[in-house]
Amino acid sequence: MFTLVIGGAASGKSEYAELHVTRLTGRRIYLAAMRPWDQECLGRIARHRLLRRDKGFETVERYTDLAGLALPAEANVLLECMSNLTANELYDPEGGGEEAVLRGVEALLSQCRHLTVVTNDVFSGGVAYGEGTLRYLRALARINRALAARADTVVETVCGLPNYLKGGPIL
Amino acid sequence: MIFITGPLLAGKQRYIRETLGLSPDEFARRAVWDVQDLAAREPDLPALAEALSQREIVIATEMGGGVVPTDPEERAAREAAGRLSCLLAERADSVVRVCCGLPQVLKGTLPC
Repeated sequence: MFTLVIGGAASGKSEYAELHVTRLTGRRIYLAAMRPWDQECLGRIARHRLLRRDKGFETVERYTDLAGLALPAEANVLLECMSNLTANELYDPEGGGEEAVLRGVEALLSQCRHLTVVTNDVFSGGVAYGEGTLRYLRALARINRALAARADTVVETVCGLPNYLKGGPIL
Repeated sequence: MIFITGPLLAGKQRYIRETLGLSPDEFARRAVWDVQDLAAREPDLPALAEALSQREIVIATEMGGGVVPTDPEERAAREAAGRLSCLLAERADSVVRVCCGLPQVLKGTLPC
C-alpha cells in the first residue's frame, strides 16, 4: 500500500504522516532525505526527531539513489521529504535526476509493506520564478503527479487536518 | 470557536458573514482576521492560539504554499503562521477551509 501526504509549510504533514504510520503493525523505518547543510537544517532535524520520539521509528538517512538502498523486508517506510530528495537528485554531483527519484520510489514499493511519502505544496505562491526555479518546480510537480497516480491514498494536510484527495484513512 | 482558513482573497470573510448573516459591525465585533500576521512577532505561539481561541470567529490566510523563501525571516514568519493555524485548528470546534468562495468543512460541522 502506498500513501502520499502533501501540504504547505508547517501544515502538519509530518505529524499526520507519523500518526498514520504508527497505526500500521510491523517495523517502522523513517527514511530521511534532508542533508544537514547548516544550523537551520539541524534545527529542523532536531524538531522532527523530537516529534517522532516514542513512536517506534528506526531512522535511516539517505540523500540520493533510493533504488540502491536495501531495507528490512515488509517494513512500514515513511520517506520525508520529496522536495529535498528531488533537489538532491537534481543538484548533487552524484544525483541521478528526476528518474532516480521515481526509480527509488518503485524500489521502496517492491520492498516494503506500506510506503508513506511526504511531499510539499510549493506551487501556490505565484508564477514569478526564474528558469532555474521553474526547472525544479516542474520536476517536483511531475514527480508529485506520478506518485499521486500510483498511490492508493493521497491526502492533503490543511492546518493539521487531513483532506483526502484520493482514497481515505486507514481504519 | 470557528476557524476559517484558505488562500488569499478566497472569500473567507464573505463566507462567514453571509453564513451567519452578520452586519459589518457585528463581524468586526465577533471576528478576528489576518491572524497569520500576528504569528511572526509572537515568541509564544500556543499562548497566542489560546488567546485567539477565546474569540468566536478566527480567520487566517494560508501562507505556506509557495516556494520556500530565501530570506530567513520570511521563512520563519511563514512557518510560524502555519504552526499558529495548526494550533488554532486543534482548539477550534469547527474548521472550514474556503477556496474560491466554496466552504469545505475539515472539522466539526458547518456553522449556520
